[in-house]
Amino acid sequence: MGLTGLAIFKELPKKNCGECGVPTCLAFAMALAAGKATLETCPYVTEAAKEALGSASAPPIKLVKVGAGDSKVVELGDETVMFRHDKTFYHPTGIAFEVEDTLDEAALTEKIAQINDLEFDRVGLHYTVDMVAIKNASGNADTFAGAVKKVAEASKLALVLMSDDSAAMEKALETVTARKPLIYAATTDNFEAMTALAKKYEAPLAVKGANLDELEDVVNKVVALGHKDLVLDPGSRKTVDVLADLTQLRRMTIKKKFRPFGYPVMAFTTETDPMDEAMQAQVYISKYASMIVLKTVEKQFVMPILSWRQNIYTDPQKPIQVESKIYEVGAVNENSPVYITTNFSLSYYSVEGEVEASKIPSYIIPIDTDGTSVLTAWAAGKFGGDKIAEVMKSLGIEQKVSHRNVVIPGYVAVIAAKLKEDSGWNVMVGPREAAGISPFARANFS
Amino acid sequence: MIIIGERINGMFKDIGQAVAEKNPKPLQEWAIKQKEGGAHYLDINTGPACEDRVAGMKWMVEVVQEVSDLPLVLDSTNYDAIEASLELCKRPAMINSCPAERPKIERVFPMAVKHNAKVIGLTMNEKGIPKNAENRVALAMELVAAADEFGLPMEDLFIDPLILPVNVAQDHVPEVLEAIRQVKLLADPAPKTVLGLSNVSQKSPDRPLLNRVYLAMGAACGLDAVIADANDDALMETAASTEVLLNLSIYCDSYVKVFRTR
Repeated sequence: MGLTGLAIFKELPKKNCGECGVPTCLAFAMALAAGKATLETCPYVTEAAKEALGSASAPPIKLVKVGAGDSKVVELGDETVMFRHDKTFYHPTGIAFEVEDTLDEAALTEKIAQINDLEFDRVGLHYTVDMVAIKNASGNADTFAGAVKKVAEASKLALVLMSDDSAAMEKALETVTARKPLIYAATTDNFEAMTALAKKYEAPLAVKGANLDELEDVVNKVVALGHKDLVLDPGSRKTVDVLADLTQLRRMTIKKKFRPFGYPVMAFTTETDPMDEAMQAQVYISKYASMIVLKTVEKQFVMPILSWRQNIYTDPQKPIQVESKIYEVGAVNENSPVYITTNFSLSYYSVEGEVEASKIPSYIIPIDTDGTSVLTAWAAGKFGGDKIAEVMKSLGIEQKVSHRNVVIPGYVAVIAAKLKEDSGWNVMVGPREAAGISPFARANFS
Repeated sequence: MIIIGERINGMFKDIGQAVAEKNPKPLQEWAIKQKEGGAHYLDINTGPACEDRVAGMKWMVEVVQEVSDLPLVLDSTNYDAIEASLELCKRPAMINSCPAERPKIERVFPMAVKHNAKVIGLTMNEKGIPKNAENRVALAMELVAAADEFGLPMEDLFIDPLILPVNVAQDHVPEVLEAIRQVKLLADPAPKTVLGLSNVSQKSPDRPLLNRVYLAMGAACGLDAVIADANDDALMETAASTEVLLNLSIYCDSYVKVFRTR
């Protein structure tokens, strides 16, 4: 989306002098929007206007990286839509865990070990967490720097350094210069010192305001000092207020091209009960937080948060697929029936649900059809008897059952002969709809 | 696609006569009938024969509102008549219309903002109707800038690039499509666009065919509204189908019915 004529017109001097070769500023704005003129031909356009018009072609939300060198690098921001169904969300919310520098050595070591252990494998996917946020709760610079050093040695995750005191911040930064941690935070009171540090260490800088107006003010001051790798904290902490602020920030950048807010946004959970905290985190992940800082490190609460993040940041335009392997439904044995379907998750789970409802333990083999449904895959030549025979063989289903009967979807009865020929199995044409599996199973396998 | 029913217009003999005789019946019948056809707005025009436009339009607005809750489009070159009628409108109305001429803009836009009304802005000025898309869009830009200046929300400005009959001004017809395309790029949020659709087929045979085909072409270019015959079933079906084909309304098998009853 290029610049609109009106947006350009607002930035022009409105002198209608004609020196650009066009009689009015309005007509000149039209010519610019149509790409038939350049801004340079106007001798009166201000620097601010040039900046505004030049940056209008930049993406609405800047991409900011936290972490460098041998640590994890987390990409934040660079989003383009309000709703994932409009396109997709690109950069999954960075998950950080708050660690206070007042912990004694043993407790700190223990906590980092717990955070490092937050890796999960689920439904063929691998979930990891991203950052550790070290908080200067002690108020002491040396204690803070010591804690940061320990965390950096014990963990490869990206770092967030949290202190209002620029002297403590500098001391801590010196110990992890190469890791480019996120500096938290520049405020009305300390933005000059914090911005100087962020520039000196080329690190991303969090900007915090007590409200959106103050946030805008501090961002403008930091940008004026020449630093643009920013992460925003609107200052709100109650879920309902954070939700409103996150929405407002995202809307103003995408809909209104409001430059001061064109950066990734961070949110903090505040609920003390980990169950409530997980729900709070779920809201922020759903609603535009580029990173969140959590307190709980317990696996049972972190896992659903990561599952939700994975889900929300899935590209809705790509079909969701299940892994192509042998699935067991119920307590299977060598006599259990074998069903064939595709790896399109909608097809697979429809079949799985109905097989489960039939109360007859069974095997299901979803064939890898690039996540397309039965008829789509068959029409595209991805679900032929030869291919299915090949997959059955490579997965070794013949070692799992003593019989040689395989059930195929009713809509592709036409592939039965080829499948029989290539696999040597007896092919049973099942019902057309998964809903027919229960009666079919009772009739054939009871 | 917003359908503005065109039928309550003094140019039509039955309405002209009803306005002259102060007989509400034909107006009220057409108000009901057009809503049944699927109209979203009702155009109200006293016609040229009406002596006192102010009183005439006020009376029309009142009798139509007795039987219909559809918002009204006040169609007159007499801005006193429009202003007096705006006071009477129960729902936010639309002003039809304002050309890109400064004195008229200064009269119409503040009045629209005051009454929360929408404005149809014509891409013409004292010099007449431009021939090509580019000059139409330049005039649209004047109207867009005026909306910004007077504080009229951009989505309440309906730019009408003025379609002319295909039998006498054929070369204008594709230019209007191009103008619609470009108008949608003038501002963000974009202004809306509208056409007096029936004009395209003036004095041609098989008018409904030309009307509905042009509606579909316009929709693909970003046309938001038409002043048209809401009781032309084929036209309404075309409008309904453009909504699903352009992904503006979620598809369902009964999309035509949904469009007409929304």
